[in-house]
Amino acid sequence: MMYFTFLLSVIFVISFMGFSSKPSPIYGGVGLLVSGGVGCSIVVSLGGSFLGLMVFLVYLGGMMVVFGYTTAMAIEEYPEAWGSNVVVLGALLLGLTMELFVVLWMVCYDEVEVVISFKSMGYWVVFEGEGTGYFHGDSTGVAALYSYGCWLVVVAGWSLFMGVVIVIEVTRGG
Amino acid sequence: MPPIYINIILAYTASLVGLLMYRSHFMSSLLCLEGMMLSLFVLATILSLNLHFTLSFTLPIILLIFAGCETAVGLALLVMISDIYGLDHVQNLNLLQC
Repeated sequence: MMYFTFLLSVIFVISFMGFSSKPSPIYGGVGLLVSGGVGCSIVVSLGGSFLGLMVFLVYLGGMMVVFGYTTAMAIEEYPEAWGSNVVVLGALLLGLTMELFVVLWMVCYDEVEVVISFKSMGYWVVFEGEGTGYFHGDSTGVAALYSYGCWLVVVAGWSLFMGVVIVIEVTRGG
Repeated sequence: MPPIYINIILAYTASLVGLLMYRSHFMSSLLCLEGMMLSLFVLATILSLNLHFTLSFTLPIILLIFAGCETAVGLALLVMISDIYGLDHVQNLNLLQC
């Protein structure tokens, strides 16, 4: 199971093709949900458990839920799935063919070189440093947002507040 | 570079192409924008995890915050379009044609 993370990233690209081929938005939302789940599992398999949880809670649980009920509110018709339209099916098959080509290239030659080369066995460097002790690296990094990046937190919080005010203003006028 | 990066960059490019090519619904373009944000989040996170550069984990969090703001404003605009025209078809946005 050496290429497990690579297989997960292939499924990530396939589910991205699922909504980039532009079916009806409700099916695109399903594709984005699946790709969010697979993206979380890529991040968790590399050791970033806190950030994977962030993807599920904030991205899927917050933003996708809002997308879901806005789609239900703003769209009323017969939704077209991936097989209903030649254009959507053609775009999906084109994307899948391209991904299959890239996977075969990677598996046969073990290196893909476009502008930079993506190799399995890159250069090995000596890794030094005192590390973070018994804590996970990614939780420590996010906690650094509140110590070194406190001004960034103030700016981000203010822009979120301004975002709410902007949304209220946009949806008020007619 | 590890080979997962090429798949994440391919996913970003696929979403970008999907965003730039309109079909009938405005909502599906917003979904492609969300896909771009998700792929950038995953790319930034696995870069920080691979390089063991602990302080750069603030980048995915900040990216997610501003992607949330952008989603909110985009959805508010879509709701107003759907309010006025009944559906969110892109062909309804034709006030500036000659």
